[in-house]
Amino acid sequence: MQRVKKLNSSNDLEKLRIEINSAWDSQKPCIAICAGTGCTALGAISVVDVFKAEISKKGLNGKVNTLVTGCQGYCEHGPIVVIQPEGIFYHRVKPGDVSEIIEETIINNNIVSHLLYEDSETGEKIVHEKDIPFYKFQRRTIFGDNCRISPVSIDDYVRIGGYKSLSRVLNGIEPDEIIEIIQKSGLRGRGGGGFPTGTKWKSCRKAEGDIKYVIINGDEGDPGAYMDRSILEGNPHSVLEGLIIGAYAIGANEGYIYVREEYPLAVKHFTIALDAAREYGFLGSNILGSGFSFDVKISRGGGAFVCGESTALMASIEGKPGEPRAKHVHTVEKGLWDKPTTLNNVETWANVPLIIDKGWKWYSNIGTEKSKGTKIFSLVGKVNNTGLVEVPMGTTLREIVYDIGGGIKNGKKFKAVQTGGPSGGCIPESLLDIPVDYDKLAEVGSMMGSGGMIVMDEDNCMVDIARYFIGFLKEESCGKCTPCREGLYQLYSILTEICEGRGKEEDIETMEDLALTMERASLCQLGQTAANPLLTTLKYFRDEYDAHIRDKKCPAGVCKVLINYSIDIDKCTGCGLCRLKCSVNAISGEKNQVHTIDPEKCVKCGICYDVCTFDAVKKE
Amino acid sequence: MDKLIIDGIETEANPEKTILEVAGELGIKIPTLCYHKSLSPYGACRICIVEVIWKGKSRFHTACTYPAWSGEVKTNSEPVRKIRKTILELMLTEAPEAIEIQELAEEYGADRTRFKNRDKENDKCILCGLCVRTCTDVMGIGAIGFVNRGSGRDIGSPFKEFTEVCRLCGACESVCPTSAMDASKIAGVKPIPILSDFDMGLSGRHSIYISFPQAVPNVPVIDKKRCMFFQNDSCRICEDVCESKAINFEQKAKSKEVEIGAIIVATGFDPFDASLKKEYGYSEYRNVITGLEFERLVSSYGPTGGEIVIDGKVPKKIVFVHCVGSRDESIGNTYCSRVCCMYLAKQAHLVKELIKNSEVTMLYMDMRAFGKGYEEFYDRVRMEGVLYRRSNPSEIYRKGDKLIVQAEDTILGESVEIEADLVVLGVGMVPRKETEDIRKILKLSRSQDGFLLEAHPKLRPVDTSMDGIFLAGCCQGPKDIPDTVAQAKGAASSAMSILTRGFVTVEPIVSTIDSDVCTGCAICESACEYGSLSLDNVRKIMTVNDVVCKGCGACASSCPSNAIVLKHYTPKQLLHQIESILK
Repeated sequence: MQRVKKLNSSNDLEKLRIEINSAWDSQKPCIAICAGTGCTALGAISVVDVFKAEISKKGLNGKVNTLVTGCQGYCEHGPIVVIQPEGIFYHRVKPGDVSEIIEETIINNNIVSHLLYEDSETGEKIVHEKDIPFYKFQRRTIFGDNCRISPVSIDDYVRIGGYKSLSRVLNGIEPDEIIEIIQKSGLRGRGGGGFPTGTKWKSCRKAEGDIKYVIINGDEGDPGAYMDRSILEGNPHSVLEGLIIGAYAIGANEGYIYVREEYPLAVKHFTIALDAAREYGFLGSNILGSGFSFDVKISRGGGAFVCGESTALMASIEGKPGEPRAKHVHTVEKGLWDKPTTLNNVETWANVPLIIDKGWKWYSNIGTEKSKGTKIFSLVGKVNNTGLVEVPMGTTLREIVYDIGGGIKNGKKFKAVQTGGPSGGCIPESLLDIPVDYDKLAEVGSMMGSGGMIVMDEDNCMVDIARYFIGFLKEESCGKCTPCREGLYQLYSILTEICEGRGKEEDIETMEDLALTMERASLCQLGQTAANPLLTTLKYFRDEYDAHIRDKKCPAGVCKVLINYSIDIDKCTGCGLCRLKCSVNAISGEKNQVHTIDPEKCVKCGICYDVCTFDAVKKE
Repeated sequence: MDKLIIDGIETEANPEKTILEVAGELGIKIPTLCYHKSLSPYGACRICIVEVIWKGKSRFHTACTYPAWSGEVKTNSEPVRKIRKTILELMLTEAPEAIEIQELAEEYGADRTRFKNRDKENDKCILCGLCVRTCTDVMGIGAIGFVNRGSGRDIGSPFKEFTEVCRLCGACESVCPTSAMDASKIAGVKPIPILSDFDMGLSGRHSIYISFPQAVPNVPVIDKKRCMFFQNDSCRICEDVCESKAINFEQKAKSKEVEIGAIIVATGFDPFDASLKKEYGYSEYRNVITGLEFERLVSSYGPTGGEIVIDGKVPKKIVFVHCVGSRDESIGNTYCSRVCCMYLAKQAHLVKELIKNSEVTMLYMDMRAFGKGYEEFYDRVRMEGVLYRRSNPSEIYRKGDKLIVQAEDTILGESVEIEADLVVLGVGMVPRKETEDIRKILKLSRSQDGFLLEAHPKLRPVDTSMDGIFLAGCCQGPKDIPDTVAQAKGAASSAMSILTRGFVTVEPIVSTIDSDVCTGCAICESACEYGSLSLDNVRKIMTVNDVVCKGCGACASSCPSNAIVLKHYTPKQLLHQIESILK
């Protein structure tokens, strides 16, 4: 499509939209291939290449639309290909399957049944995306557009209604009115704190100063979390549109996106989006003829977890070390370069165009009393369906883990779900029916965080889990304040002692005391919440701690020092597999004779346990 | 007025200030470690944490960062003390050797054994960052920074290599609350300390300092050559910490003209430079010191707080050498300095008092205990076990870790070698170097020994040949304190007698200039010892100050054109006198 002219008014935008829509035949078959981070890792790029080649070969150019999309969420089953408009869902597609899809589905309108998703419980093959349990129970208001557009095409975004909200705002909604809409919608910050977004904007608008800033926080550092990444990679314009609306409402003319250096694709797609938005006149001076000017710079983070904290992030943009400062005077008054600054998470900004478009009433109908809208979770761990999940606030953990996540892998028993990133808490089975919202999660000792959700089963040792998260935070603490820096070091030391069988009765009290001091005395949220994984595991899994300290046993069989491998003489057939696999030659025995493990040599790697087909290796 | 209640004391809320500042004004002490007046609050050490009660809820904030908003604050409540205790326990793991932390830990009942020691290389550093922030924000240098993050955090130069960026200004060391900072580990070289003149170079001082205890006026001075503000336009820390805002960098030296009726010269003396006696090895051995250095060493406000310690060791065998630089023709000082015998006796007495089982030997030429009570004191010192040997040492040299003083005992008539841990040289007095400048201005004379010359050794010991100028103290010759006081009082009353009279009696015989003959060649000006002649620049002839002129006639005899005559001693009168004698 030949179009480079800057849009000077809302009419120009609507004309453009009609133009784009008329060129896009929605009845034409559209092959949407997911090339998000998960699917790319599973080989999606070669699938895309083969699709392009096959389409040319079969002379289908112009007869089918192809979309190389951002993450569609069901990463476990990638690479994913969805054929629209029917919504036929093919999973785990390999380059070799492509010609079959073209031949059968595109040309002959048949289903390729071996590429269909199969329900693990019923064994039934499911054709359409919307019928797959993983999707069926979700409500994808933010994330759903990812599979409808190419993230590098601004025209695609305009086609599905993009920048409509911005245009509406600039043509007749006063900044104060926008803030009121956001306030009434009940939108709360998606980065973790859950602060009401509208209130934040209002304070920043009211703050004195002619220069104000807006910032997108894309420094997603929680282990296993990648929802912000997927939005930036898959639908960058939605975030940008939200930012421009926010800037207009607050009165900012400059914005920043702080994004992790480790997200090259997100940086690339956002850079393309910025260039396109400038070309179309959504950024720059006099946006859509409104007189409002705004532009955005990209600032790439150096990989520090603590830079997700607002003041540390701002220090980092300023070129200083990423360390938090005291926030008694809020960043909405004195933020970046001491100017009033509004910082929101990627997902928060992405919610804004939606609220403007569909109205605050519509939005506030979704969710619970105090937590509105939907939330994207990164569902990972010992669950059957890992991926990104968007559900209305108030969905129970059980629905997320069992209905959407398909339950625990290999039929194991659920033990806990850890929410809210490393500073979150571990929630036990007894609390699986709590509705997920900001307040309920805080009530049980965890937090919403940015939406990480790690499912653990009976094979996870909760003491070891606490040690893992405390260890992560120990490395990622900036080290500025004493309670966080030294407190985490000591917690980690004590937990290591416990895991290695040297725990003492008084350790629990010492850790609790330390945790309280860290919560009360640490400088920033990282330190104040750092003890959560410890405190929740202590609260809900105290028996595991007792087993480690008193009985010197690890019930889950994880803590190496506390476990021993032995061979059951009744079950061993003398096949010799364990002896061959043992890397330290700790297993001996004649062929067809019962084997034995030398505990002196054994390094407890567990390989014998894993390879034995007769269940003869015992772990105690 | 918005109220702020701190520990029950009601005051005005002031968000421009912090809780720490307002509490300080109220006299409430909150412990701090990472706080410094020169720097913006940092909130890292968390020791200044206080309990803030707002709407019935307790929260904990650092006093150094929290604005003095209205509400209630408790600075030393039970929960606050508990938090500080735990923080101090954590600090003890990273800085077990920091005395300041140990003291605070004791105050809060912190338990050293609860947590594992970090075993860090620097066992005093609590990572408060004062050094880093001072180097960067105040000195504008940034030679050091934080290294790593989390529990691996440390302080150092880039890549932990020695850096030339460091100017060794020492600001980092001066702000460190736990004496953990060592700038030489940053720069790779030891800083050259600024030595204290008053402590005879035995201790260092800052570039802003009080000259000596009880100095008058007792205020600090800035050493411009060392001050980082004057040298590099940075620092100004003293300005921030001075409560009364007394630091003034604009102050300059001023010249003042005053009209006076009398001058008392009391410029003092210089101690003899012991390095001129090379055989005593003063410049060579650290344990050969002068009497004045010893005086600083035993002073309770001296560099060691009154302990006699040399290189960390208490000397047991001490030798005092008399007459160093006095009565010594080899260095040109033939006079007796008159104080050394007695000050050495006093110092020997102090050694006996301070160091148990010490062996003290005095090497003297002959004892001069001439003042009131002096002889008795000399006897007392000998009774205390101080050994007096009449001998003059010929050489001092090192043998192992001891010194050997080689001397001739003139009573026993044998040469002796005395072992010593410390040798104190009883240096005498020499004319003060700078006195020469003022002597030239005041046209005073010197006696052969170089000290200022009095008008008459017996009859006018405080006067000089210049009317209205008097001498007091050692500028006139070596003397002890009672003699100095006596002479000073004499000089003062002599000066007063002129001043109270209100006028001066002038000699009748003074020079006069014949203005018709004088050519203004000014030869006479240099001939006048008293500076009474000056050139009248308008008339281009010489004029005589009648008050200053002594009527000596030196000018008259030097005048090539015979333009100067002495009143009552004109050539004509003189010739008539000669004539009448010859009749």
